[in-house]
Amino acid sequence: MITLTRKKANESNGQSKRISIRDKLLVKEVQEMEENLPSTVKTSFPDSNNLSEFYLTVQPNEGLWKDGRFKFLITINEDYNMMPPKVKCLTKILHPNISAAGDVCLSLLRLNSIDGMGWMPTRRLKDVIFGINSLFTDLCDFDDPLNIELSEEYAANSEKVKQRIREHVLQNAMR
Amino acid sequence: MSEDNDKTSYDSDSSKPDKMFTLKKWNSVAMWSWDVECEICAICRVQVMDACLRCQAESKKDIQSKDGACVVVWGECNHSFHHCCMSLWVKQNNRCPLCQQEWSIQRLSS
Ligand SMILES: [Zn+2]
Ligand SMILES: [Zn+2]
Ligand SMILES: [Zn+2]
Repeated sequence: MITLTRKKANESNGQSKRISIRDKLLVKEVQEMEENLPSTVKTSFPDSNNLSEFYLTVQPNEGLWKDGRFKFLITINEDYNMMPPKVKCLTKILHPNISAAGDVCLSLLRLNSIDGMGWMPTRRLKDVIFGINSLFTDLCDFDDPLNIELSEEYAANSEKVKQRIREHVLQNAMR
Repeated sequence: MSEDNDKTSYDSDSSKPDKMFTLKKWNSVAMWSWDVECEICAICRVQVMDACLRCQAESKKDIQSKDGACVVVWGECNHSFHHCCMSLWVKQNNRCPLCQQEWSIQRLSS
């Protein structure tokens, strides 16, 4: 009897253990993130008891996407912090490093990177937030594109693409 | 202490006692080991001398008396982590998360 109960407990233990480790890390990291939010960023937690899924809204105050509002969904799976958070852009956007499906190309979210720029368990949520926010300024990179079409257009005629991006922001990302 | 003596009594320092040096050396060794005790594992953010977050979750009863399974590992780069934490990470990427160097174990704590 005793062995049976024990075995059962052990089976579910693996998963619940990982969750509790993630949640312990998140309690500190979410607080640290909230204390260090850039002025262009807001977070919202749909379920205040669940720190592992939240929205991030970036409202750039400079650059091509200025004054747009871009909403991202951040999901932190059980294997955090061995694995990076998952980031999805929910707002329609024309951006070299964000695909039409909302996939985000950010080096620090990349696993198995050999250049030292990829995911490391030493990184924190606040680093991810800074990274996403910087995609609209410093980290915007037409040379390492996810939206290849847009980047090719940009190489051919950058002014035209800038114009298109501005129009797209006005049509899709203004509140 | 010995240096102050040195400066103020430079005219008669031929009989400076050797013992002073022994004492100073012992002191600095004690400081060093205190530093290591306070080092934080950059992966789980718990002190390396305590059980890691995973081992703590496993045996909530007696966290302080760690059973020897949760040891500290030092890499060739001199960075230290819990062995538990580091062995999980090297499966993803065999690099030190602090300095990005290729990870190879220098030693483990007993
Ligand atoms: Zn650790
Ligand atoms: Zn451990
Ligand atoms: Zn290192």
